[in-house]
Amino acid sequence: MEIGEERTAGALVIVPVGRVDSVSSGELERHVVARLDAGERRVVIDMAGVEYISSAGLRVLLVAAKRLKPPAGALVLCGLGPGVRTVLELAGFTSLFAVEPARAQALARVEAQASA
Amino acid sequence: MSTLHLLVQPRDGEPFRHEVRGEAAVLGRSSKADVVLADRYLSRQHARLVLREGSWFLEDLGSRNTTFLNDRPLAQPMPVRPGDVIRLAESRIVVTEPGGGAAAPAAGDGLTGSTDERLPESTIFRPASEFLAGPAVPGEGGGLAARMRLINEVHRALAAPITLEALLDLILDRVFVQLQPEEGAVFLRDEKGELKRAALRRARGITGEPLYSRRLAQEVTEKGVAALVTDASADERFAKAESIVFSGVRSLLAAPLLDSEGCLGMIVLSAKSRLHPFQEDDLELLMALASAAAMRLRNIALAEETARRRLLDRELELARDIQMAMLPKAFPHLGGIDVSAALRPARTVGGDLYDVMADGERVWLLVGDVSGKGVGAALFMAVTKTLFRAIAPGSASVAEAVSRMNRELARDNERAMFVTAFAARLDLATGELEYVNAGHNPTYRLEAAGAVAALPGPVDPALGAVEVHEYRSSRLRLAPKDAVLLYTDGVVEARSAGTQAVETPGLAAGRVVPVPSGAAVAVRGAVAEEFHTQRLESYLKDCRDETAERIVQGLLERLDEFVGDAPQYDDVTILALRWLGPS
Repeated sequence: MEIGEERTAGALVIVPVGRVDSVSSGELERHVVARLDAGERRVVIDMAGVEYISSAGLRVLLVAAKRLKPPAGALVLCGLGPGVRTVLELAGFTSLFAVEPARAQALARVEAQASA
Repeated sequence: MSTLHLLVQPRDGEPFRHEVRGEAAVLGRSSKADVVLADRYLSRQHARLVLREGSWFLEDLGSRNTTFLNDRPLAQPMPVRPGDVIRLAESRIVVTEPGGGAAAPAAGDGLTGSTDERLPESTIFRPASEFLAGPAVPGEGGGLAARMRLINEVHRALAAPITLEALLDLILDRVFVQLQPEEGAVFLRDEKGELKRAALRRARGITGEPLYSRRLAQEVTEKGVAALVTDASADERFAKAESIVFSGVRSLLAAPLLDSEGCLGMIVLSAKSRLHPFQEDDLELLMALASAAAMRLRNIALAEETARRRLLDRELELARDIQMAMLPKAFPHLGGIDVSAALRPARTVGGDLYDVMADGERVWLLVGDVSGKGVGAALFMAVTKTLFRAIAPGSASVAEAVSRMNRELARDNERAMFVTAFAARLDLATGELEYVNAGHNPTYRLEAAGAVAALPGPVDPALGAVEVHEYRSSRLRLAPKDAVLLYTDGVVEARSAGTQAVETPGLAAGRVVPVPSGAAVAVRGAVAEEFHTQRLESYLKDCRDETAERIVQGLLERLDEFVGDAPQYDDVTILALRWLGPS
């Protein structure tokens, strides 16, 4: 797994690429937590490059969602491939996350949430 | 950021600046590398900087001794940005701001001192190899016998088993007797490679901040040279130097703790008010002691590491035993049902669980799987099982019991641990089965008539993920002789040989390291495949007349056959129950 990042005017986009499994999820967690500790409040996680996510990886998304609960924060996921979507559904988590098809919509939603 | 600015500090050469343009740059010892570093410990093509979608990433090219980014070994390509420090063997590369001003490398070692401080001009550096090549040859006749005796004594003391503390004590003892410094310190590299002060001794009356110079440490530990400052105050330039670190120090000795594998740290002796400054033969003596100590240090470090790992393994085994002991092995002899369950743990501590519990005329079932592995997962599993035992009996419905369990598990759950679970309650008189699926694999119903199908119903979130959630029950009525099969994803995700996930001994327990699939193909000639629900369903179709125990054991056998000699990397849990009809 690699972790890319992009900063837009309104949000931080975190882009994990590859497999988010029991090994790499630790790295993703450290990365995300470091950004949240540094004060990031509007975050998009673009999963378009994630081919597989394990339950340990889901846990990282939950940690982020917990810490970015509206109204103080906003987290939107986007780019979920069929594999990732299935894992999310199997864990019963689809209702726990704001999900958008692509990054542009996700950014719009994060900003809408933040200004709401 | 398409140009990357580097400050390169090779082990065996002068530091230089380099700008990486284009798409990629190979770092290595080879003259064909884009950034050539003079460092004999480097691989020819050691690592690579590569531009991806506007960001620079560092990746290791399978080097002999790996690449470190900010002192962490690189497991996969990582993004780099100004301020990052890349370490290749004994060379460093600092990623700087475009202006060329070196962004200060991350400090955080708890030691003071800056990188660009000047060492006094009177400093003499001598390669440690000069000392290690032959026996120490003291320069003056006077102390010769005493010094030889000292070295001999230290060697003898080091032959007996000794702890790290005792070893450091011994070295400082002898050094203080023989060389009379005012301050002596031993610095050791920690597991991250950072120097930490491991022992400090001072002559009576010496106070203030103990001496530490990052520059000196760099010279001594990275280049493996011994250093001697004969009389700093006599040196005009040093008197004017701004370094506070050296203020007041007249004389200083430093020797690396070197063995054939590399540098473990250094010994530094200093004096402010010494009448007779340290001499070159003092340095030779210190080097002799340091090299004897270094050999011993390496052994102690290895022994401690082994002991630590053994202890950890024992602790994990114990956790595993306790965990397994929490699972019912035999089931209450309940009229009207035939039930059997098995949990086959992966080698690491995991978080599967199951339970079967009588509650008057009804029986509760639970199968669960905690996210992740390791001790955290095991503890969460134990809490889940305990909550189930406490909450389920007497609950009005399965939905109510599960909703309460979830509230307890989600409370103060900062780490967002969760457990997927399938919970059910069977009415022994009527065959009514009420169940909740909390993010878990669907349970199968094996009809007495022969059909096999997953139980229908909504999937609610795994337990612990959201603080308040009203879980939904589903209900159906089993026919006499119908069976249900509950399981965890370890069953359907079991991988055949040629698998891409292997356990690597020596890594922290609980870690599973993916092997590139290409390698698996080359070695095994087969690509990993999952057992999958299709195989499970087709197996279950053959189980119409089997006992619960046969259903469970038979499935384990099928899995064994399928998996072959591939390592098991997830817990496997199976629970089968057949309702025999109204009693």
